[in-house]
Amino acid sequence: MSRINCVLRVFLLLFLIGFLLTCVLVSRAAPATPDAEALLKRSDTFRNGWASYVVRVKITDFESGRPDEEHLYEVSQKGTDKTYVNFMSPRQKGEHLLMLGDDMWVYLPDTSRPVRITPLERLTGDASNGDVARTNYAADYSPVFLRTEKVGTVECYVLNLTAKRKGATYQRIVYWLRMPDARPVRAEFYLISGKHIKSATFDEYAPSSGKELLRKLTLYDEIRHNSHSVLEYSGAAPRSLPDKLFNQGRSDMF
Amino acid sequence: MNRNYLIPILLILSGCVAACAQDPPPSEKSRVDARYSLSIIDDATFYGNRSEPVPEVLNQVLVEPSLSIRSHGHLTVSSSLVGLADTYSDNYTQLRVKETYAGISAGDFDFTLGRKMVRWGTGYAFTAAGVLDPPRIPTDPTDRLNLNEGRDMVKADWVRGPHAFSLAWSTAALAPASASLRDTTAFRYNVLVRGFDTALIAGNDRGGDPFGALTFTRVLRQAWEVHGEAVWRQEAAVMLGAKYTISGITFVGEFYTPPNIPYYSYMGVPQAAGRQHYAFMTAGKARLRERRGWKQWGMSGSVVANLDDRSYTPIFDGSRWFGNHFSSYVHVDIPRGTKTSEYGAAPYSAATSVGVRFQL
Repeated sequence: MSRINCVLRVFLLLFLIGFLLTCVLVSRAAPATPDAEALLKRSDTFRNGWASYVVRVKITDFESGRPDEEHLYEVSQKGTDKTYVNFMSPRQKGEHLLMLGDDMWVYLPDTSRPVRITPLERLTGDASNGDVARTNYAADYSPVFLRTEKVGTVECYVLNLTAKRKGATYQRIVYWLRMPDARPVRAEFYLISGKHIKSATFDEYAPSSGKELLRKLTLYDEIRHNSHSVLEYSGAAPRSLPDKLFNQGRSDMF
Repeated sequence: MNRNYLIPILLILSGCVAACAQDPPPSEKSRVDARYSLSIIDDATFYGNRSEPVPEVLNQVLVEPSLSIRSHGHLTVSSSLVGLADTYSDNYTQLRVKETYAGISAGDFDFTLGRKMVRWGTGYAFTAAGVLDPPRIPTDPTDRLNLNEGRDMVKADWVRGPHAFSLAWSTAALAPASASLRDTTAFRYNVLVRGFDTALIAGNDRGGDPFGALTFTRVLRQAWEVHGEAVWRQEAAVMLGAKYTISGITFVGEFYTPPNIPYYSYMGVPQAAGRQHYAFMTAGKARLRERRGWKQWGMSGSVVANLDDRSYTPIFDGSRWFGNHFSSYVHVDIPRGTKTSEYGAAPYSAATSVGVRFQL
């Protein structure tokens, strides 16, 4: 009887050790859910290299695969919620756009006043005002990790971003970030209605003033499928920008 | 010393002192930024059923160069001119100075000296609070030919956080006599509070009454913007407006009621008519991108009405871009009302303007 007990005890002990080992191995083998917030913040550094900087953006619109129009902007950004955009192309010379938190103004030379932009107006243009002025997604969206997935040959994290403030350009973004450095690879943009309005591919990165930054982005119109825009970033550099540049009361100073 | 010149002299002196006391940030020390633009417009206006024996076609050629140089991050010199050649009952040429000013930026202060356009009013078609703004013309609120001119002024701005203070003294000495301007001293405080872009304006016209004004703009939900002005100058003037956007089409509506005093004097409105009430509505789309082949087209339709004498003017604007530098436009206004009414008194039944524009 005591021998049976002894065998039983040894068996139970071995079973317990085996169970614990299995648990440890299984827990090590299963990938931990990535920190979506940390990934999103890291991905923003590929588009916003410094806390205060200036960058030039050239947007070329394509219709049916042929270049149609070109626009040139100088973007000055400070922190996550202050952006000033100077429109440089002949068609828009003299126009400026100011984003301050959730509020946005456009200064048009042909109207005698600054014009407040509603959230819907942020979506105007092939590349919308919001695409140029709001690139700090961690400030505007709450991320949730969805899955990992391959885009071509690149293994990616897939995040679902939901707007957390009214200043956000889109209601929802599905965002593909390269493993392991969280470099943006692809995005899909959705409206409040759930309509898939645009997609983006983050095509080229290049070193700029000591940082690896986005150099080329393509936006595809998912409503009019024959249209897309290419955004080329150049001359990104840190710049000391005074707070007063971003004050709405200086409309006549520009 | 004449008290009227004390404010501009103090503004200039304080600008020089503040500029000397401040150095630009190291990263901007060697930065000189020059920007220019050139616009050439050929505009022909055809008047229908003129009530006076004058030509029915007005042709205008406008050359509009502008240059702005910003140096060391805090010095700005800017000039914007208009050369105008008219062919009508006789030919004449004119040089207009839209803006020519020098600006010094020092710390939280900005100082401006020269002719400058400021934009204090919040109205699209009407403003009573924009005491130094270019005039609003409700039948042409976008100033199609860019003929608006700034005011000659000395101005100091102080910006700290969300607060912006401006003090300006403007002289009427260099303004055209037809502008019937007076020397103006004005102060403005602007702040953004809970999404309300709010401004308080106060001042005085030399030899006239003091004035005070409150303006605001606010965005509501996804598609609405509201704006308004309340002004006191002898009597109250009020402007309320809203903008609504749907499917890329922007609608703007404004209601405006000024007192019938000389400052707000309007052509065709007798002094005995009392307070006037106006309404303005416009619907427009800058680019008809949803229609295949119409991406370069822009259209808008507006109507401005005097609600007291029931006169009104429907307005249609259409434009089309050709590449990045050329555009053409058509502008039609058709005044309606009795011969003694404000809009019905126009000496034509319709005015159609067509033009081509080159921009560099």
